[in-house]
Amino acid sequence: MLNLIQNEWMKLWSKKGTWIMTILLIAAVIGVMGITKWVNNQNTTLPSDWKSNAQEQMNYINETTQSDLPEMERKQNEETLKILEYRLANDIPPLAVDGRESLIINPVGVGSLVVLLTVIVAAGIVASEFSQGTIKMLLTRPVSRWKIMTSKYITVLLFGVFLMFIGFAVTILSAYILFPSGVGQELKWDGNAIVPVSVWGHGLYMLVLSFANVIITATFAFMIGSVFRSNGMAIGLSLFIFFTGNTIVLLLSQYEIVKYLVFTHMNLTMYETNSVFVDGITMPFSLVILAAYLVFFLVISYTVFTKRDITA
Amino acid sequence: MNIKPIVELQNLTKVIGNKKIIDDLSLSLYPGQITGFLGPNGAGKTTTIRMMVGLMKRTSGEILIDGRPLSENFEEGLSKVGVIVENPEMYKFLSGYKNLLHFARMQKNISKERINEVVRQVGLEQRIHEKVSTYSLGMRQRLGLAQALLHRPKFLILDEPTNGLDPAGIREFRQHLRAIAETEGVSVFVSSHMLSEIELMCDRIAVIQNGRLVDIRDMSETAQPHYYFELSPAEKAHYLLLSGGFAPELLPVGLVLQVEKVQIPSIIKLLTANEIEVFAVQPHRKTLEDQFLEMTGGGQIAESYTK
Repeated sequence: MLNLIQNEWMKLWSKKGTWIMTILLIAAVIGVMGITKWVNNQNTTLPSDWKSNAQEQMNYINETTQSDLPEMERKQNEETLKILEYRLANDIPPLAVDGRESLIINPVGVGSLVVLLTVIVAAGIVASEFSQGTIKMLLTRPVSRWKIMTSKYITVLLFGVFLMFIGFAVTILSAYILFPSGVGQELKWDGNAIVPVSVWGHGLYMLVLSFANVIITATFAFMIGSVFRSNGMAIGLSLFIFFTGNTIVLLLSQYEIVKYLVFTHMNLTMYETNSVFVDGITMPFSLVILAAYLVFFLVISYTVFTKRDITA
Repeated sequence: MNIKPIVELQNLTKVIGNKKIIDDLSLSLYPGQITGFLGPNGAGKTTTIRMMVGLMKRTSGEILIDGRPLSENFEEGLSKVGVIVENPEMYKFLSGYKNLLHFARMQKNISKERINEVVRQVGLEQRIHEKVSTYSLGMRQRLGLAQALLHRPKFLILDEPTNGLDPAGIREFRQHLRAIAETEGVSVFVSSHMLSEIELMCDRIAVIQNGRLVDIRDMSETAQPHYYFELSPAEKAHYLLLSGGFAPELLPVGLVLQVEKVQIPSIIKLLTANEIEVFAVQPHRKTLEDQFLEMTGGGQIAESYTK
């Protein structure tokens, strides 16, 4: 199996497109950081005092009638209040917006870029064997088809991890070069007490969460690519789903069924950034739904691939 | 024959939709023998070959490789088989060497030395580290042969192997196949449209038509002595020889006769005594093409099964 993965990895990196994609990712991350830097420089207004900001936010929360809000939002507000009180009492400022820490702690942009690029590889890794005609060379070896399929799938995942790693590394590097260290500390309510949040740990955690999106979208592209043997169709459909997912969730948000759609759960970082649109879903529930879709996509891919008569 | 066949097809059948593409095909292939596989377009050659190498599933029947059914021992079975299916499509963005490395990794225990040995064998040392996209068709064929030989297969399946080779290349290829069949006892199964090629290369031919095996014959059987007589008037000679107990075949400017060499002087005497002018007598080889057309009834394309 290791040999097969080695083969796929060699083929992947022998294509110019793979290198171009990697360079594109690096350039995009640096570009976004550069733009952020530029915007920060244009903002000449003096940074306001964080204490008065915090006080204002507390007042605002206290003035709204909490009983009118849905339960989820009420809980969020309670937590925010606790954290703000703690900050004021212990004189702990939040992360400065122009400090490097605030960029490292939330590298979500990397996640969506990696989705785009991994989908391209996932869509092509089976489909291109058919379009090049090399499939008949590949399948006339003493290797079962499911092994070939597995080596290809693992290669896609490895490529995703690799891009994530590159993206995060470039983010950290350019954050250190372009931005000064800021004061402040990120805090969170862990259910019992206020605890400090590690910048690196949280940054990495956010990446792991956004990797769920990479896996599910790439697996979908992998399925379409191996069922329809068409690279373009796989890329197109996957990106369509990736971009329209949120809209579909919003349209259907009134109905119970929305809880069981894959789109609702693809972006796991919503649990960390407090942007959950749908009532009554939790992280474990999302993980179960995502796992179910993943298995479904893979079963279809494997069944079609191992049963198919190669006539091309 | 006492030798155990390397490959046996037993009542192989393939149905697509409700049409039988391959109908109850049985065939045995022996070590050291080159078997040609002939048939008109659409007869089922490619389908048969694809079932033998695991690209297509059989509907019923069995394929035995070295005595064991392929369906139960796919990996073990195919490790004894070298394959070129139609044009060998290699990875164009990889070098020739990396292509071989790729296929070597899919077999067990193939050393770097073995790869280099095969590269030398097919004469690609000069260009092996260049990308396949820069190769000519002939060089791709050589690379295709190289990948099929990497793991020293006991059985070699070739579909249209000489496509795109120049005459010198074809000759070399033929000698190469002969050599591995004879020295290493490899059984070779070649499908081709180039009948003259098959004729020069094979020990035995199997002819398939409409998914059925029409005929298997050894090439030596086809070498019965025939002689061509150029003479005039041909019709008179034809009649004369018919009544003389021969079976002449009438051609526009003469006739073909199956006789032993020793009979020829007496035939000439008979002809001249009857005022028939004989210009030339020469050995006549009935080509494989003639036989092929004879066996397949004109070689018309089989009914199309796709809609």
